[in-house]
Amino acid sequence: MPIQIQIQKGTSASNTTTVKLSGSLDTVTAPQLESELAPLLTGNVKELVFDLAELKFISSAGLRVFANARKQLKERSGQVSFVHLQPQIREVFDIIASLPGIAIFKDIAELDRYLAARQRSHQDQI
Amino acid sequence: MKLELNATPDEVMRAVETLEEFAKARNIPEKTIFGLALALEECGSNIVNHALKRDVQQKFHVAFTCERNQMLIELRDQGPAFDPTVARVNNSPASEDDLPGGWGIGLVRRHMDEIRYSRQGNENVLLLIKRIDDSAVFDKTS
Repeated sequence: MPIQIQIQKGTSASNTTTVKLSGSLDTVTAPQLESELAPLLTGNVKELVFDLAELKFISSAGLRVFANARKQLKERSGQVSFVHLQPQIREVFDIIASLPGIAIFKDIAELDRYLAARQRSHQDQI
Repeated sequence: MKLELNATPDEVMRAVETLEEFAKARNIPEKTIFGLALALEECGSNIVNHALKRDVQQKFHVAFTCERNQMLIELRDQGPAFDPTVARVNNSPASEDDLPGGWGIGLVRRHMDEIRYSRQGNENVLLLIKRIDDSAVFDKTS
């Protein structure tokens, strides 16, 4: 099963980019995602959101891509978030779910509330 | 069902897709199929990436059968001896400085009921066993 990768860049103010994945994230498709993410991870993105509503399969090859993305963003105080995980995907995710710099949300509303609070916190610090 | 595969990631996924079709045709529950597919993907990838070093000239073999209450997946390769049943497993939640590796075998153990390894001549033989609710499986030729 192939993977479809749809990247939606947010406003420069929010620095949030959403990556929608559908299909299978496996030993064949993980390198594809890695190369699509490379310019984002070296750019100015701080908040990277993966929408996994249509992701049907994931293996450790996919987890490694997410873990590496989280590591790179964390170096500049960014964060990787995940939304709409299907139950079988959530089970595989347990391995990396507790990492600092990773957040998982059930839906967009919950994610938006979190991102808004995070942005307010950043503004307070400035 | 028996497959001869070249040592490439594409061939691993060809085996996974064949397994999924095989299991669907036997009315195996979706959640179980996901676990079977994951276990085969992880074990096949280990063979391709580590045992056979992605040498496309190398072959490995996958066979699967569905008996009355269990699904069996057998993988055979001629790489160096490697027993994943005694390999170090990283199946705890990742820690801050965790290197992304060693998760695959943990996922296999989590989704399979039994894993058996033997070295037969110059072959690694890995048998993955998943028990299935009898009522969920149609009586079709395996």
